Amino acid sequence: MSTIKNLHVSRATPSSRIAMSLGAIVLVGLVTMPWWATSGNIRWAIELCCYIAIAQMWNLLAGYAGLVSVGQQAFIGVSGYMLFVLAQNFGVNPFLAVPLSLIAPAILAVPTYFLLKRLDGPYFAIGTWVVAEAVRLGISNIDYLNAGAGLTLRVMTQYSQHEREVAFVILCALLLLTTIGGSYWLLRSRHGLALTAMRDNPKAAASQGVNVGKLRFYIFVAAAVGTGFAGSIYYMAQLRITPAAGFDPFWASMSIFIVMVGGIGAIEGAIIGALIYFFADRLFGEYGSAYLIVLGLLTLIIALYARGGVWGLLQKLGDHPWFPVRRKLIVEE
Amino acid sequence: MQWFDAIIQGVLLGGMYAQYALGMALMFGVMRIVNIAHGDVMILLSLIAVSLAGVLPVGNVGLIVVIVPIAVAVGWVLQKFILNRVVGADPLPSLIATFGLSIALQNLMLEVWSADTRSLPNSGVASASFQIGPFYVGLLPVIVLICAFVLTGGLDAVLRWTRFGRGLRAAAADTEAAAMTGVDPKRIIGGMGSIWGAFLGAMVLGVAQAVGLRIDPGLGILFGHLVFLLVLATRPEGIMARKK
Repeated sequence: MSTIKNLHVSRATPSSRIAMSLGAIVLVGLVTMPWWATSGNIRWAIELCCYIAIAQMWNLLAGYAGLVSVGQQAFIGVSGYMLFVLAQNFGVNPFLAVPLSLIAPAILAVPTYFLLKRLDGPYFAIGTWVVAEAVRLGISNIDYLNAGAGLTLRVMTQYSQHEREVAFVILCALLLLTTIGGSYWLLRSRHGLALTAMRDNPKAAASQGVNVGKLRFYIFVAAAVGTGFAGSIYYMAQLRITPAAGFDPFWASMSIFIVMVGGIGAIEGAIIGALIYFFADRLFGEYGSAYLIVLGLLTLIIALYARGGVWGLLQKLGDHPWFPVRRKLIVEE
Repeated sequence: MQWFDAIIQGVLLGGMYAQYALGMALMFGVMRIVNIAHGDVMILLSLIAVSLAGVLPVGNVGLIVVIVPIAVAVGWVLQKFILNRVVGADPLPSLIATFGLSIALQNLMLEVWSADTRSLPNSGVASASFQIGPFYVGLLPVIVLICAFVLTGGLDAVLRWTRFGRGLRAAAADTEAAAMTGVDPKRIIGGMGSIWGAFLGAMVLGVAQAVGLRIDPGLGILFGHLVFLLVLATRPEGIMARKK
């Protein structure tokens, strides 16, 4: 009888080690950008980071918690507005105002969830859209927030361009760490198992003792805060926010497109999708509506024929996860 | 008096919404899917009608006769090649597929018809109005309201009394496996997917928007949304849902 001498649980794979190293290199590259890249490229990087973060948060909602939201722009807008009010009207340091502005999406997410939690599937989606529209119309009628004309972040003029860029890349690195890193950490934790179970079948998960309602609530609030974080950074870089832009349903469309094309229910999917969207937008954006027709049809085709998106197709070629969440038992005899 | 007028205008506006909502309510009721492209298909058919008006000398009423078969064909293609593939317990595929279709259709229409406002040749109906006591009422909105009422009543009667209607209701009940779990299958049609519920909802929305508009021009649409959220908070099963 052979005895098992050594037993251990492994999660890292060669592909994940490569991905982690690359991830670290990308982060270092991002943070040092003000010293080697042009201002134009830095703006692109900020935009791309915001897309990745917003899409990843939508992926967490729709891909794992089963909460299909088409109203995430509500959280982008409110945290953007909160940032502008704190920095412009209350004189808070704008870079410090970014984390403070996250209070707004958190506060909005709680009543929104309790109002909408009784709805499932499509009803929930419509509810989130109505909430986002109601918040947009509400803000458009508040004179203190300059109604429909929006706000400008004039206080940013006190910083030099270099100072701003340094602050932006650090904020973007933090954004990626909290949204991607946070999702990865969550999925690897005890709650990650529950979430994966929920993704596959919420009813079966509940029968196994997963508190589906509570977990959904936490995910909804966390996703709101993560989305708001990206919104604050995005509009701080834009220096201007209006109700039409901040609460633009385009944010929801973009998240849906990125996650569906990239691959829903996988961290890798949101990243791949964001990269595809970002570069497609740069390359074909000039074609205007023709480009959007292709984008729409692509989403339709993926919903009909390839539900796993690009990441799903890549997985068929070979199992090389970048962010492995599975555990493997390694037995050495 | 001003408020009474707002309610009348709201009900007339609601007539238009009720026509929009009717198809949605039927889809909801039978297939349990939300067709995000519903509004886009509606606008597509309207634009086709406007374009046809330029080449077919059949008058505005004749156009309806032409456009309805086209609508049936569009609906059949949509159902056969897209919706039937995504119907299922998971709401996500249908939502995403129709979302993609919506984006594609919107931009396709923008390419073909540009963003200009278009209208049918005016036969005088659009601007005609008559007076009841101190109120002026537009003729066209009244016709729209009557059509909405007749269509809603007709659809309800079809669902209730015909063999086809019974089949539809059974299909609605089956997808939910409601009968198995002891829920009265009738409740599904009578609840959120309710035909008259959609009609009433449209009226409530129209009145809320018209009243909001009287308070402040910026508040009209917001009032509609707030009523939606209020209904959600107090009667999440819908205004018309039957009591057990």
